[in-house]
Amino acid sequence: MIDIAGILIDNILFVALITLGGVLISWSVHFVPVGGAPAAMAQATGIGTGTVQLAAGAGLTGLVTAGAMINVTDSLPLILASGAVGAMIMISVTMIVGTWVYTYGVGVPPASAKVDYDPITKDRQDIYVSQGTEGHGLPTVSFVSGVIGGGLGGIGGAMVYYSLVNITTGLSATNLMGLASIFAVGIFFVNAVIPSYNIGGTIEGFHDPKFKRWPKAVITSFIVTFMCSIVGVIAIGGL
Amino acid sequence: MEPLMGMGVLAIIGAAATIAGASEDLESDVGSQSNPNSQVQLAPQMNYPHRIFNKAISGEPPSNAMLGAVGGTVTSVLMNAYGLSVVFAIAAGALVAALIHGTYCTSAYMGRSASQKRFRQPIYLDIIRSHVPVMMGFAYITTFCILVVSYLMTAVLAHPFPLPLLAFIWGITVGAIGSSTGDVHYGAEREFQNVEFGSGLNAANSGNIVRKAESGLRNGIDNSWFCAKFGGPVTGIAFGMTVFLSGWITAVFDPSTGTTAGWLSVIAGAIIVLALIIWNRRIEVAARNTYGPYKEDEVEA
Repeated sequence: MIDIAGILIDNILFVALITLGGVLISWSVHFVPVGGAPAAMAQATGIGTGTVQLAAGAGLTGLVTAGAMINVTDSLPLILASGAVGAMIMISVTMIVGTWVYTYGVGVPPASAKVDYDPITKDRQDIYVSQGTEGHGLPTVSFVSGVIGGGLGGIGGAMVYYSLVNITTGLSATNLMGLASIFAVGIFFVNAVIPSYNIGGTIEGFHDPKFKRWPKAVITSFIVTFMCSIVGVIAIGGL
Repeated sequence: MEPLMGMGVLAIIGAAATIAGASEDLESDVGSQSNPNSQVQLAPQMNYPHRIFNKAISGEPPSNAMLGAVGGTVTSVLMNAYGLSVVFAIAAGALVAALIHGTYCTSAYMGRSASQKRFRQPIYLDIIRSHVPVMMGFAYITTFCILVVSYLMTAVLAHPFPLPLLAFIWGITVGAIGSSTGDVHYGAEREFQNVEFGSGLNAANSGNIVRKAESGLRNGIDNSWFCAKFGGPVTGIAFGMTVFLSGWITAVFDPSTGTTAGWLSVIAGAIIVLALIIWNRRIEVAARNTYGPYKEDEVEA
């Protein structure tokens, strides 16, 4: 018989950390400038792919770098930082190559349709939006927002993985890492999907009016990840 | 590990990832997967029936993650349970993944085209015969390279994740990158070469994709011919850079030698990101100056 209460009490810190990680992931997705299908036709500002897909691509790259770091160090800040850096590298490389394609392949300048002036560079935006579109490409504010989003997502993913891999369990190290990484990927996806209901296909970054909706997603993620973390901790701790 | 050895392995990983990225994007151009397919799907409804392969099995990331996971699992089983050599196991894993991909491609095209019967969109059997092997070929190359990356990471760089999971994660990443970069070249440029160059797709033109080719009627292979000149290679560069740079910072500043080196690797990564932000800004300024505004400035004029 598994001592469920005992396992939870022993690992209560990890339950809290996993929940915090999930909430961070959910918040981070709001920063990522995604334009969905319209952006792939240079019809909306942002990266031409889905919310979940890009956030997951960046966050999981962070998980890979954090996973490598966890093998050689016990320092939590270092593990979180390496997760953030891995995700930030992935998302900024994707965005810079996206800018190449928009600028040299499609021939459009980056422009936002949600604000008249870029909040960071103070550049005029509205007159650079081509007719019949909702902006295109990645103006500086969206790029910076994407980097912040990638970083937060990487920290969240790394925190979830760190917590899962440190649960007291009878598993061998190899099996524990395999199981913890799969749980981490699962929790990442759950929290990447929740904000997409807020975003509804396109968001330009933290300057977009839709960004203000993040508290709803964060509260939902808090509840959902808390339940996920209990299941994860009992499943791994009980083995 | 010797730093030089680590860099050598990383170079092979980067090269394999570059090929994987390019072939992933070209696969999605032949089969019209991902976001630009919304226009291919829309065209017959707007009275533009076409001969372009129409599939969107799923978003590119889940689709490539499935290929990676299937290939990685088969490879793992063949290596660990049957003791086969790595090269054979990876080749067999990629082959199984490509076969499954071919099945999905065929059913996706049949299903999507059949559902558009009322818009008089034909199902071209010759398109299936000519396109599916090409897509399977690209899927094979993508999966093979992702498995090479994942295997080298687990076996040589001692990454703690199991091989199928790494292949799954890199599949998600290559799909996310391909869908964000190379596909824009296909969706925003190749599909709409009939409108003036240098603007986004006007919503009024939705569905009016180019249906005539340089010779005859345009199909998916014509699209990959065009995208192979720019969209495919840059996708390869993007995925290669992601895999290479995220590993490079820890290869140069090895965190196993101490916490200081670990923090140096983080700082190196942050500097790379900062450089990319500045680079993006420079391209933005250059593009604004070169192309100029679309509308006159009402305030200052």
